Amino acid sequence: MSILVVLLSLAAGAYALAVIERWAVHGHLSLTGPAWAALALMGRESLLARKSDRLFFELGPVLLLVAGLMAVAVIPLAPELIITDLATGALFLNAALAYVLVALIMAGWGPNGAYAMIAGWRFLGQFIAYAMLIVMPITAVAMRAESLSTVEIVASQAQLWNVLYQPMGFVLFVVAAMGLAWLPPLDLPDATGELAGGVEAEYTGVRLAVLRLARMVIILALAGATVTFYLGGWLGPWLPAWAWSAIKILVVAAAMLSVGRYMPRIREARYLALSWKLGISLALANIFVVGVIALVVPI
Amino acid sequence: MTVQMIFLAFFGGAAVWFGVVVFRTHSMVRSALALLFSQTAIGAMFLVMQAEFLGVLQIMMMATEMSVMAIFMVMFMMDPGGMGKMDMTHQKRLSLWAGGIGLLAALLLVWLPDWGPVALSVPGAHEQAADLGRELLGRSMLIFQSAGLTILTAMVAATMAAIVPNAEQRK
Repeated sequence: MSILVVLLSLAAGAYALAVIERWAVHGHLSLTGPAWAALALMGRESLLARKSDRLFFELGPVLLLVAGLMAVAVIPLAPELIITDLATGALFLNAALAYVLVALIMAGWGPNGAYAMIAGWRFLGQFIAYAMLIVMPITAVAMRAESLSTVEIVASQAQLWNVLYQPMGFVLFVVAAMGLAWLPPLDLPDATGELAGGVEAEYTGVRLAVLRLARMVIILALAGATVTFYLGGWLGPWLPAWAWSAIKILVVAAAMLSVGRYMPRIREARYLALSWKLGISLALANIFVVGVIALVVPI
Repeated sequence: MTVQMIFLAFFGGAAVWFGVVVFRTHSMVRSALALLFSQTAIGAMFLVMQAEFLGVLQIMMMATEMSVMAIFMVMFMMDPGGMGKMDMTHQKRLSLWAGGIGLLAALLLVWLPDWGPVALSVPGAHEQAADLGRELLGRSMLIFQSAGLTILTAMVAATMAAIVPNAEQRK
């Protein structure tokens, strides 16, 4: 039952997000826009590059979608509204998201195109730099909750949301999440300006529709993770639990989508250097500070 | 128990089959990703055996590791796409011997020692994670920390050895 509810709300959320993205990019709000765009993609011819690695080309978008859905499975929308409350939920989220990398390498290598391939390998560098900034802040969150279960992580924030308890971890996690979902200004794998669409360059028709949908699911999963780990999940006054989750996730996702419109894209070498030199040091400092706070003032 | 055995056999078979694919394909990326899916199947076997933390950890770690291996294979092999039909195998006799001896050793290790009684009840996933944490930060801490530090030192040293200083830095 809760699987059906979560999947339906995921579909609704993905659609809402598509509307918001269209609004942020093109500047006009159209409620039916994404539906027409999806229909248009369905009707369009699906091209296949010559001498492509057919298996990877077809599997890439599908694996991306599966990875996104797996990640969503451990995100609680309400105390009972979660697909599976794993004891290792926070770790499982990382495991699912690691396959975003595999899917993008497949999608980049598959079509036998230079831009797509460069983009796929570029995402490898980006992902390895930023995976640590996903894992290390989650470590600090789990330290406070004394559990890896996402439900217990939300419950641990009843007194004080983690965004106030460990603001540094919050900032690192959001930046890393944007890098993981290749959102502008960190959209190096499909950098429109230099790689002509990158990973998306060779995809058309239904395959592109699946790729776009998968990316929406991943953005929602990461927004859901941000809300679960830092913004108190379903916690909030007056409204029912699921409503708070929905509002928070949509607001975080919309913020992630909008930020990039006002910032220039970062050069890749600088972006990676920032992660390795500054990001990881800050993430380690965050773990230390949270550890000290947890020992001295247990709240 | 039988359902568990069926799933265990299925994922075990998948792990072996993907392992065979590694050597059957000519494409370096396919080869690396086949190894990844072989390892993922082993992670799934851990999950079937109710070792949740280990399973999830295996599935997570291998994704990045095998992807990194894929890019190195593409960089160093002469025919990474496998479209030139180049034979990239060598030292076949040695490999056969090494493989045979490895298989024999694994079989002996399975059959010969007395493994003791099979665990009939497994602690819950929460307790497992907690127990693992106590083990890693207690009795086994010295071993794991020194291994970790050694690997880190090796990585830093390898990176330093690999970096070719450019003209500006040499001054």
